[in-house]
Amino acid sequence: MQLQLFSILKSLDPRITRLPQVGEVKPKQPLDQLGTFEVFVQAKEGKPFQHEGCVHAPTLEMAYVLAKETFTRRFTCTSIYVVDTRDVFVSPTTEGNQSAYELISSNFQTGSKETYEIYQLAKRGKQHVNVGSVEAGSPKEAMWLAKDLFGAGKMVYNIWAIKKNKIRYTTTEEKDLWNTLPEKKFRDASDYKGGDKLKEFLERQKI
Amino acid sequence: MHTEALKELLYKIADDLLIIGHRNSEWTGLGPLLEEDIAFSSMAQDKIGQSYVVFQMLNNLGEQAPDTVAFTRNANQFHNCQLVELPNQEYDFSLIRHFLFDTADALRWEMLSHSTYEPLAQLAKKIKGELRYHTMHANTWVKQLGSATEESISRLQNSLNVAMPYALGIFEESPFEDEIISAGIFAGEQELKNRWLKKVEEVINQTQLNLPDLKIITPLVGGRVGKHTEHLQPLLDEMSEVFRIDPTAEW
Repeated sequence: MQLQLFSILKSLDPRITRLPQVGEVKPKQPLDQLGTFEVFVQAKEGKPFQHEGCVHAPTLEMAYVLAKETFTRRFTCTSIYVVDTRDVFVSPTTEGNQSAYELISSNFQTGSKETYEIYQLAKRGKQHVNVGSVEAGSPKEAMWLAKDLFGAGKMVYNIWAIKKNKIRYTTTEEKDLWNTLPEKKFRDASDYKGGDKLKEFLERQKI
Repeated sequence: MHTEALKELLYKIADDLLIIGHRNSEWTGLGPLLEEDIAFSSMAQDKIGQSYVVFQMLNNLGEQAPDTVAFTRNANQFHNCQLVELPNQEYDFSLIRHFLFDTADALRWEMLSHSTYEPLAQLAKKIKGELRYHTMHANTWVKQLGSATEESISRLQNSLNVAMPYALGIFEESPFEDEIISAGIFAGEQELKNRWLKKVEEVINQTQLNLPDLKIITPLVGGRVGKHTEHLQPLLDEMSEVFRIDPTAEW
């Protein structure tokens, strides 16, 4: 039983290997092919950025370009940003019996202060959502500091910390990337009403 | 009021967009990686969507409905430049064509945003975001592959050499050039070409690619007056296949 489970977790299927593993604070493992980059989307002005998935790309800049169309061609969006998967620091994950912040010990290294963006997973199966930023000397210290600032009284399953200077943001100038022709219904499969058309066609064949 | 001159301008814009949109959509499902497949297909849809709006403008000026105009003309009635009708070939060629065409297209719309013909000026503002993405996508890829490996650089260079005479055909002047400029509808093909060359050089200079010497290239023109390569008619036959079987079909 144990062996079987192990072989599933070693699968090349990113849906499986993406499952967070329990353990120490460490960089997220890269996937196969070209390197991967994590994509965060802001659906509306003032809303927090939310993790939406990842893209394969040779560089951070290419990742930004590919992420824009892969994740935001259909729905309203005001901004995106991307970061190398290896720059995402991941906390241990809980099963909802305790907050992930409880698993961050005060035993961390510290160094010169840098800004870290903090993300929380509020529920299994949901996406990590940005809750704010802290000044810290290491990813673990960032999570430790985030506990009081963002984690009080909440059930948090998992925490991410990303150095702000590793993120490829959308510039103010680039915001008009989402200022497009509004009529984009042709991009939704449902707009083609394939089932209805097939039904009509079959009805016509009967007569 | 300048109707003939305006129609000539609108037809070449709409036909360029329709044909490049169709060509680029041929990559759907075959793109070099999933994310790029999605991005390239999505931009192809943008182009078709933009051509539709320009065909609607023509319709308002008394021309036939967009579907009729798009699907029932023969190759010699199309005003697109020859660059956009060339087969996709390998991805390096499609990327270089995308780069050369979209640089010109984005600049053309930037100029049209000041047009005295209000529908064009309005559309130019509406599609600014789409065009920003298209040029950003093209520039990023050309900079990436134009400085990556020996193979990627030589592939892009070959494609650049092949595409350049056709790209210069984008700027084939119309018989109404003076009229369109003096009426403030569009600042003209020569002005567009100058701006285009500056932008193209700016990107190419950031790579290991060399811009072919334009002084010794003869532009391949004719597209604007209905003279096309043998590649356009098969494209039109395929694009209009469903329409020709059943003009009332919705799909």
